[in-house]
Amino acid sequence: MQADQETKKPLYYGWYVCAATLFIGFVAVGARNSFGVFVVPMSDEFGWNRFTISVAASLGVLVNGVSQPFFGRIFDRTGGRKLILVSLVVLGGATAMLALTFHILFLVFMFGVVLSMAQSGPGPSNTAALMARWFRRRRGTAISINSAAVSLGGMIMVPLSMFLLQATNWRIAWLGLGIIVLCSLPLALVFLRERPEQKGLYPDGDPAPSKDGSEANQVDAVGPLEVERWQDSFRTAPIWQMSGSYFVCGTTTFVMSVHFIPFAIEDRGVSGATAATIFGYMMFLNIFGALGAGVLSDKLGGTKNWLALAYSMRGIAYLMLLTVDSVLGLWIFATIAGFSWVATPVLTSSLTADVYGVKALGTISGFTFMFHQFGGFGSVLLAGLLFDITGNYTLPFALVGALLLPAAISAFSIKERKYSARYQNLAPTAAAGD
Amino acid sequence: MAWLSSFILAHQGDAADPVLLHWIKERLDQIFGSGPWVVVAIMGIIIISIPIFIIVVYLIQSDRRSVYGPPEPDDVPDLRKQERVP
Repeated sequence: MQADQETKKPLYYGWYVCAATLFIGFVAVGARNSFGVFVVPMSDEFGWNRFTISVAASLGVLVNGVSQPFFGRIFDRTGGRKLILVSLVVLGGATAMLALTFHILFLVFMFGVVLSMAQSGPGPSNTAALMARWFRRRRGTAISINSAAVSLGGMIMVPLSMFLLQATNWRIAWLGLGIIVLCSLPLALVFLRERPEQKGLYPDGDPAPSKDGSEANQVDAVGPLEVERWQDSFRTAPIWQMSGSYFVCGTTTFVMSVHFIPFAIEDRGVSGATAATIFGYMMFLNIFGALGAGVLSDKLGGTKNWLALAYSMRGIAYLMLLTVDSVLGLWIFATIAGFSWVATPVLTSSLTADVYGVKALGTISGFTFMFHQFGGFGSVLLAGLLFDITGNYTLPFALVGALLLPAAISAFSIKERKYSARYQNLAPTAAAGD
Repeated sequence: MAWLSSFILAHQGDAADPVLLHWIKERLDQIFGSGPWVVVAIMGIIIISIPIFIIVVYLIQSDRRSVYGPPEPDDVPDLRKQERVP
């Protein structure tokens, strides 16, 4: 009887929170990513040129990046449930309101400001912070599932937008996307809770610690750098090591998001369809990279080692891209880089939570995410500028690729065993790199 | 400035690159080939099935949760009040 009951232990509530945030991230990111689909029909109707409509999108990039720490602060002070619920209402409403677009300023304000700001609420740094509260041992796995939602959102929501547009018109398509975003509200309302304590549970669904304290170590483990105030984290080395490498992460991924297909077509001479196939293949692989990174770091430990490995792999991918002067080089790059693409955000979020705790995690993660966005924005501008000067992508790709070596060293040199809560109260053993 | 506008548009999502979008649409047209509404309906069902699946699993598990009822709230410490390790 006892054994029978053991096998029927209920699913830990944290997994419902994880599933809910996955769906929320899926629709929120998907709705925003669909902007590119609407560029042509809206431009045709209003007579806007490509650059005019781009203003709305560019403002959105900056607003989303800069607002992330502020939304993280709100997350820490008022809780993720309220923040995500309100953000979803605004996000869904703003998406639907885009159907009423009548002037470029309306689009700039509604998409570039309102929608992009609201998207910071259920953004990856906040959902990762929420996962960090519910999970300790399986923190990386839970965060990786959430990160995979970003890729899935792009893969499903964007094609949906295209066909919706084809079946109807851009106004109805925006309205439909807004309704889909609002469909995530009931799920958020039912399942989102701040902490396992609210459901009478412990992180990971672990049993109550025994009175002799032997199991309490796992539950109560706190790192020496755990902070109450986000400002305190910036007086320590690990946050700068992680932010520095995360800056490089943004630098090396954004530049490829923009310039990979032109590079493949112009420098390597492949067709647009082949270039798109290779890029799509890389985006598909990043789902497995994210999930693999989370699971492996949880099972085997050494998060900073996996992080350093991810940056090293990406560095090798860049090297192959520049040295193998054929379509094979593109495929090798896509394969190696694909696995590291979303692995780094997962590992960085998990390690940040392990080192600094969860009390100010929303704000701290918001800042690191901002560094990531700034790195991306700057690198793309620099790459475009260098391309205009030199006429090819060799120099810009070599420059950003070279940054991956210091990024890997920076990640590898984090004293995880000393600072991470995972290693507190454990018998001291030698750890690679510590 | 072409690279700037292409960045701004592509940045909104990796899948939003115009070349990639065109390619994805062509592939999906080949696979489904039944008009846009059919694809919209299929994708809509996939999207809606995710929250429904989560809720169904939660309801199915309600019996197990009642058997394993949560511990008394007093037995669960608020981990926010943890002491810092010296």
